Amino acid sequence: MKIITFRQLRHRWGLYLLILPALAFICTFSYFPAASGVYHSVFRWDGDEMEEYIGLENFTRAFTDEVLLAGFGLILILILTNLVKMVPSIATAVAIHRMTGERWRYLYRVLFVIPMIIPGMVWLLLWKFLYDPTFGPLNRVLSATGLMRVLQTLGEWVGTDAFATGAPAWLGHPDLVLWAYIFWGFPWVGVVSVLLYLAGLGNIDQSVYDAAEIDGCGWFRKFWNIELPLIMTQVRLNLILMIIGTLNGWGLIFILFTDTGGPNGKLMVPGLYMFRKAFTDGEAGYACAIGLLLFFLILALTWVNNRYVRVSK
Amino acid sequence: MTAAVTGYMHSKSLRGKMAEAVKHGFVLSMLVFAFFPLYMMFNISAKTNREFYRQPWLPTAPMHVENYVTGWETIGASIPNTLYLSLVPTVGALVLAVLASYVFARYRMPGHNLLWSAFIILMLMPGVANLMPLFTLLRNMNLLNTYTALVLTGIAGAQVFNIFILRNYIEDTPEELFEAAEMDGAGPLRQIWHVVLPMNGSILATLACLSFIGGWNNFLLPLLVIREPDRLPMAVALYRLADAYVKEWGPMMSAYAIASVPLIILFIFTMRFFIRGVTAGALKG
Repeated sequence: MKIITFRQLRHRWGLYLLILPALAFICTFSYFPAASGVYHSVFRWDGDEMEEYIGLENFTRAFTDEVLLAGFGLILILILTNLVKMVPSIATAVAIHRMTGERWRYLYRVLFVIPMIIPGMVWLLLWKFLYDPTFGPLNRVLSATGLMRVLQTLGEWVGTDAFATGAPAWLGHPDLVLWAYIFWGFPWVGVVSVLLYLAGLGNIDQSVYDAAEIDGCGWFRKFWNIELPLIMTQVRLNLILMIIGTLNGWGLIFILFTDTGGPNGKLMVPGLYMFRKAFTDGEAGYACAIGLLLFFLILALTWVNNRYVRVSK
Repeated sequence: MTAAVTGYMHSKSLRGKMAEAVKHGFVLSMLVFAFFPLYMMFNISAKTNREFYRQPWLPTAPMHVENYVTGWETIGASIPNTLYLSLVPTVGALVLAVLASYVFARYRMPGHNLLWSAFIILMLMPGVANLMPLFTLLRNMNLLNTYTALVLTGIAGAQVFNIFILRNYIEDTPEELFEAAEMDGAGPLRQIWHVVLPMNGSILATLACLSFIGGWNNFLLPLLVIREPDRLPMAVALYRLADAYVKEWGPMMSAYAIASVPLIILFIFTMRFFIRGVTAGALKG
């Protein structure tokens, strides 16, 4: 690494030229739209010509907008469930790592890459089919095993008519859609995360395991005291990406339900709400204000994450 | 990784074997879930709708290979477009990222931290927040309904992640190599060509794969930007297919199978780099 002072800059200004193209791109396609978004967040703007300055009205409106607040509540639930969903990937990586035989470990790594070629849409269609009320395997299995009866009694007890017909529409009923969405993608093993965790685990020295063996550590203590600290970098990276992804994520919901947010708008996450406001309702200024709030929320969460989730080497 | 862990859990006892079996069982069951959609895609692609609703899980006797003809007719035309829209941004973003991350990794000049933060903070920016202003910008640039819009925004989006990852890798490249190149009078561009590229092949291939897949599955912006149906890239065409009122499962899944062929070819060639890139180097947070 070389330190270049102001004085040397006269001969080395060329270095800036190497950054310039990348910088030009982000200025045009990221910072300019972002600045325009900040600017328009204090306007009533339909995304086209009509502009009217309204001060902070968009923001005060956001804080009392029940749909938006419900959306943030939804995000909180999703972040908590996504936290649990990180466990299977870690468990898979640890299981592969602890296997004897380098060949097996390599083979499994290869096998976990292959599913990346499956078009995202195929995943989506199969899960949608799984939840289908009439043809879907889920309802068929529940009926065949008699579990549907249990669910019906449970449903009456809780006070929902979701199971009344005996063929619940998992993605169509307001009481069920959140559960169906959370369960979506079971068992939630992300191939890239598995490979990332394996990379971190590869840094563990054999002597550490030997010492643990002598101390009589069980499998869980080995995980907690040796393996988890060593993959903390990757866990933290995945955690940040997960939180950002959850706050930004609305693609799947949009593809499933368009911009209605599902039955009774039960899955109207802030991202989707923003899209709806901008492109359907013609309230682009308000959408920009919501975007700004989301950005600060992500920034705050990332800061908390960096601060409190420590990496011990 | 090799010597470090081999021998771990090497107890020949029954308990050790049991533990080994449990691990394999667990990983295999996860793999079954991961591979299941792949199996179903090929399985359903050879069925008629009636066969699908009667027996979706197992292959049925007459294989309806003609589904692939229908599938090809639906999306074959969009393959060249989609290849263009995946390849050009991938290459563009990688070139820009290599140039910029070389400077960030090797030099500290005035404004270094400011410039670096300017890139990194974009990783936090919620994509949708920018969508409306971006759309307006593209409209003002007269780029609506053009591929140029998708290529330019694709480059802008992918390069940030590339720079973030590449900087770490270039910093880990042995300093002596750069010094030797400098001794021979090589400027930054020749150092990139002769040192950075050869030394970081795996991670470059990995990043290329990731952005190619991203471009291949790119869905949202094309849906907003491209107006003429016959110019839509594949992901949107496939979505339209699934959104049809009466789904023809066989031809639809054939279309998806055809859509994954380029990715299969890509992975055959880059698999080894890909695994090495993600595993050995370790992406550092």
